[in-house]
Amino acid sequence: MINRIIGWVDQRFPITAIIKHEATEYPVAPNLNYWWNFGSLAGVVLVLQIVTGIFLAMHYKADVTLAFDSIQHIMRSVNYGWLIRYIHATGASAFFAVIYIHISRTLYYGSYRGPRELLWWTGLLLLLLVMGAAFMGYLLPWGQMSFWGAQVITNLFGAIPLVGGHIVVLLRGDFSVGDPTLTRFFALHYLIPFIIAGAVVIHLVALHTVKSSNPSGLPIADKDNIPFHPYYTSKDLFGVGVFLIIFCSFVFFVPDAFIEPDNNIPANPMQTPPHIVPEWYFLPFYAILRSIPDKLLGVVGMGLGIVILAALPYLDRSKIPGGSRYRPIFKALFFVFIADAFVLGYVGAHPPEGPMVLIGRIATVIYFGYIVSMPFVSKWEESWLRKRGLPAPVQKYLDEQAAGGTK
Amino acid sequence: MKKYLLGIALCFATVGAWANEAKLPKIELPTSPEALQRGAETVATVCLSCHNLKYIKYSDLSGLGFSKEKLGALSVGHGLDDSLMSPMSAEATKQAFGITPPDLSMMAKARVGGPHYVYAFVTGFYTNDKGKTDNHVFPGAKMPDVLGAASAKGEERTAIEYKAKEVAAFLEWAGDPKAQERRGLGRYVIAYLIVLTILLYLVKLRTWARLKEHHKRKHT
Ligand code: HEC
Repeated sequence: MINRIIGWVDQRFPITAIIKHEATEYPVAPNLNYWWNFGSLAGVVLVLQIVTGIFLAMHYKADVTLAFDSIQHIMRSVNYGWLIRYIHATGASAFFAVIYIHISRTLYYGSYRGPRELLWWTGLLLLLLVMGAAFMGYLLPWGQMSFWGAQVITNLFGAIPLVGGHIVVLLRGDFSVGDPTLTRFFALHYLIPFIIAGAVVIHLVALHTVKSSNPSGLPIADKDNIPFHPYYTSKDLFGVGVFLIIFCSFVFFVPDAFIEPDNNIPANPMQTPPHIVPEWYFLPFYAILRSIPDKLLGVVGMGLGIVILAALPYLDRSKIPGGSRYRPIFKALFFVFIADAFVLGYVGAHPPEGPMVLIGRIATVIYFGYIVSMPFVSKWEESWLRKRGLPAPVQKYLDEQAAGGTK
Repeated sequence: MKKYLLGIALCFATVGAWANEAKLPKIELPTSPEALQRGAETVATVCLSCHNLKYIKYSDLSGLGFSKEKLGALSVGHGLDDSLMSPMSAEATKQAFGITPPDLSMMAKARVGGPHYVYAFVTGFYTNDKGKTDNHVFPGAKMPDVLGAASAKGEERTAIEYKAKEVAAFLEWAGDPKAQERRGLGRYVIAYLIVLTILLYLVKLRTWARLKEHHKRKHT
């Protein structure tokens, strides 16, 4: 019976072929470690956010006089409203934690390198979209931090020459953040996740075209690949279990960990909070913004902080394949970069006074220094490694490449 | 595996450490239903003359285990479905104090330190050099020293501190009345997830044990 139904569908839609191509016969390197779990985890969190978000939207009221109250209505009167809201609020942080780890893995193992450029770019696009969704979502509870965060960030666009003022008004729907801002942010906050879902499909099509990289530093021969299902489905599901334990520990026991106390005060346009701090996942970029003394350059620097990463496939000019496995300098600099991102985050969380200013500036220079120096460092590292003598597998790979190139 | 967990834990730990930088003394909040009820009574009889608790209805207080009679006595002149609102209007309090006192239902969530802040604030009144009442944690606060903390000494002071703890504990409840239900459910959820994850791990082990076979099949 089942087979007949599947047969009927197959004649009209290639369901079996798709499952074969994308899962049961989709070839994956056999040696992926647990750092490769975070891509599928990001997908899980996306689904979690969309589902809880839809339920929240059933009770939320996008109106400046009602928004704050409607959140408390959800928390107190809606059946399991507190659960849905806490999952959604914690989910935002989880999303960034997962994505940042996913991106760090990409940097560490050099997964962004050719032929995975498009995969890398769609990934960065996804990061930007998630940031947009998070930023707009943060306005919706209409607390003090929601309001002032939106006020400060939309204000940044005013630094753009000529059209800046118009863009600010367009974003806010008014001259300052108010009801029109709230309603349009709500509309866009509901829209963006579906754009994200579409971009995820593109990301996955690109992935399934070029296949996953792997931690060995060398490409894996086709014959050694294993099918995604059941090997990586079982491994990913175990990862989801571990993730959910950590995630639910936050949701059920410290759900306020990621909610600023100030955001439990209704927005008051007449009263600026003493410190306006963005959510933790924006802090490194916020620190870059504040570390550059010129407002326009600061905004540009903040944007470049992400956009410039797109150039990495071309900035990394080493012929040594892969990422950190066979490249000690690359590896060391990776850790410098990650540590630097944490320093920037710390600086972003504190008022720009005393040593914070200098630390922020140094960390900003290191952040961009890592990226800009990549072409020189990677070339220099390569020649240094060649002088020392390459490990046999790398030498063999390079010889094969050279032979293939002259054929 | 260890590295993976450590990575996540580290991420969250750093963020958590930044989030809470309050230097308030941590007090031990009473947890017994009786203490919470006394806290509710103090809030309803003292604080409510100026403050609102607009997200709390009298009927919600039954969640603290109030008997019908006690609840009736507490809500005289109000319906059980009424919110806890001050008899003074916002304008009247503004006239009297120069500021409308903030709503207290979210107070324990709206300040760094939460209930510890509330406690430190209501017991933090003192008489300064100029003979005026001021507050240690909120200098220049426009709220009067309603519990009489500034002049109290010895046993009287201890009684006031205890009252303040009950009030702080009640306001913590009011900020998140579902907290107890949440923690209760959370225990089951985590226990379930741990069992599930162990099973998933075993499934993963068994699946990967077949890998050798898979390779053999492919190469013969
Ligand atoms: C006589 C009126 C009055 C009474 C009674 C009263 N308050 Fe207040 N309260 C105020 C005013 C006015 C403010 C605003 C202070 C300011 O912002 O300067 C305030 C502010 C507060 C704040 C916020 C402080 C801050 O950080 O902004 C807390 C907490 C508070 N009250 C707790 C209580 C508690 C608990 C009680 C009952 C024990 C109580 N109040 C009773 C008038 C009152």
